[in-house]
Amino acid sequence: MGPVQILVVGFERPAFSGEVLAEFARLGEAGIVRLVDLLLVSRDHGGTLETVAAPPGLGAELGRLATALLGQPEGAAGDGTAAAGADSAEVAAWSLADAVPPGSAAAVALIEHLWADPLRSAIRRAGGRPLEETWLAAGDVALLETLIARRAG
Amino acid sequence: MLLVPRQLARAGMTGDVPYYGGRLSPAQAYAASHPSARPPGPAQVAATTRTELGAGRPAPGRPVPPAGNQADALLSLQHLLDTGVITPEEYTGLRARLGA
Repeated sequence: MGPVQILVVGFERPAFSGEVLAEFARLGEAGIVRLVDLLLVSRDHGGTLETVAAPPGLGAELGRLATALLGQPEGAAGDGTAAAGADSAEVAAWSLADAVPPGSAAAVALIEHLWADPLRSAIRRAGGRPLEETWLAAGDVALLETLIARRAG
Repeated sequence: MLLVPRQLARAGMTGDVPYYGGRLSPAQAYAASHPSARPPGPAQVAATTRTELGAGRPAPGRPVPPAGNQADALLSLQHLLDTGVITPEEYTGLRARLGA
């Protein structure tokens, strides 16, 4: 399986026009990205998170994988502060509770980056090891565009 | 349905990037154990940027930095070069502006 990204997008009022799903469908057909699952959640002002039923027509299974991955098993004790793979001080951890503010709703997408799998394998075969990985801030992207334009001109 | 979130490990697309958990990174640990290049304080850097580095010569009527300030500026400049903030070419140009 390729690298899987978790994208959490907040909405004041969730409106599912189908445009985002259509874009995922296009990317999937192109072999670039696969939408593994999509979960809708809401969080009340007391901080409690609840899953939201998917709109009709999107399939009853939608969100089940993400719920099982991001939530504690039903009946599990604890407050979600410990989990396999994130119980060491050496590991940076996060949870949906960090991402979704109380009194809001969010869509949580599990996205497999199909294009990245061969690249990741090539890096490993070359003996490379990750040191840093992040996205450029918008201001730095603008700077990069300026530099590219300057070089082209 | 109620969802009790669990903690997940963060990872990068290409693998698990190092996480230092608030401790010193290898570069910081190296710098701490090699104190020969004294990092400038914030006030020093600000003064250096405003006067010696950014504006070239001081504006007419403004006092010329005393020799002690120039030495500090050179030290800051060396630190910027050592830490990769400026290139050797930029270092040479800025050093020339200081008259060193």
